[in-house]
Amino acid sequence: MGLLQVSTNTVTSAVASVTLTGINSDDVYMLTINNFVPSTDAQDFKIRVVESGSPNSTSNYDYAHKLLRSDTTYNNTSATNQTSFDGTSSTGNATGECSNGIFYIYNANNSSEFTYFTQEVVLASHTTLLAGFQGGGVFTSASQVEGVQIFPGTDNIQSGTFTLFKII
Amino acid sequence: MSKEYGYIGKEVTQAFRSNKGIFTPQDIIELDQENKWTNFGQLELIETVTLASGSPANTLDFSANNLTPYNVHFITYHSLINSGNAEVGFRFYESGVLESGSVYDYALQYGTTGGSFGESRSQTNPRAKFGDLSTASTESCNGYAYLYNLTDSTKYSFYTFHNHRTGQMEFGSGVLDQASEITQIQVCVASGNFSGTLSLYGIRFA
Repeated sequence: MGLLQVSTNTVTSAVASVTLTGINSDDVYMLTINNFVPSTDAQDFKIRVVESGSPNSTSNYDYAHKLLRSDTTYNNTSATNQTSFDGTSSTGNATGECSNGIFYIYNANNSSEFTYFTQEVVLASHTTLLAGFQGGGVFTSASQVEGVQIFPGTDNIQSGTFTLFKII
Repeated sequence: MSKEYGYIGKEVTQAFRSNKGIFTPQDIIELDQENKWTNFGQLELIETVTLASGSPANTLDFSANNLTPYNVHFITYHSLINSGNAEVGFRFYESGVLESGSVYDYALQYGTTGGSFGESRSQTNPRAKFGDLSTASTESCNGYAYLYNLTDSTKYSFYTFHNHRTGQMEFGSGVLDQASEITQIQVCVASGNFSGTLSLYGIRFA
């Protein structure tokens, strides 16, 4: 397995969103999220697919996750027909708190297929609780997807590095 | 061999992000091997370590000071077998000092082929657990882990993992919630000895 970097963006001052494009083949793509910190405490980040230069905010996102936590029983989260895909859980923004994860993206370039995601995310929450956020989702529209937009549940992304790779 | 790279009478220094001159295919191969050829987004094998089945041990260290310059690391492992059904995990060296205290957090989900699913978690574990080993050679543990921020002294060190042995799968996450620079990774089991092979990769510019 090899990786070819397609697009990257390192946020060092607050922005509302990050958009990564460059998906132009039927290969599997990998998105890495490193050190996502929200400008407002206890926020998650969300993902939308990008088509023809614009994020798609229609109600076509389905997902199911297991929220693993180090303090008590785990939670299941699932939903259909959402306007975005949930990337993580309540991430803190105090020192050391952040979210990190890997997403694999399938069938994005194929206009006759839905676009699928798998994810494994680890985070320190707003209470510095260790949590894992693992699962998958699907964008239920057969369309050609050229990238992803990452944005927080509210307010801005304070910092983080977001990179899209093609798996070769 | 000339190191002028097309320049006449002038040696040229090459570096990642700073390649100058005219390159032959052999130049590129050699510079790539020396990590001086600009090629963004590489998955680079850092090291493979093995404990042979005939010489198992309680711990196995990757080499020291080989984790830079990567932000994200990737470890694959296979054929992990233990003498006592013990848990396996990572321990990290912080600036050269092994952290062996009960300071690691993890949360994992397991499921067995017999239909038993459950949770395992700790906020005071003596290692960054990523699985439970078995004794039978036909029940080896195999999987992978991603590790984040090991080389950043201002960040906690996070990891996720997914593994499988005969009859059981496990996936989960963990953290050493101490802001420190990790300079070396140790793999260890809670009791007894283990054997197996692990490979450490760096993901450049992730």
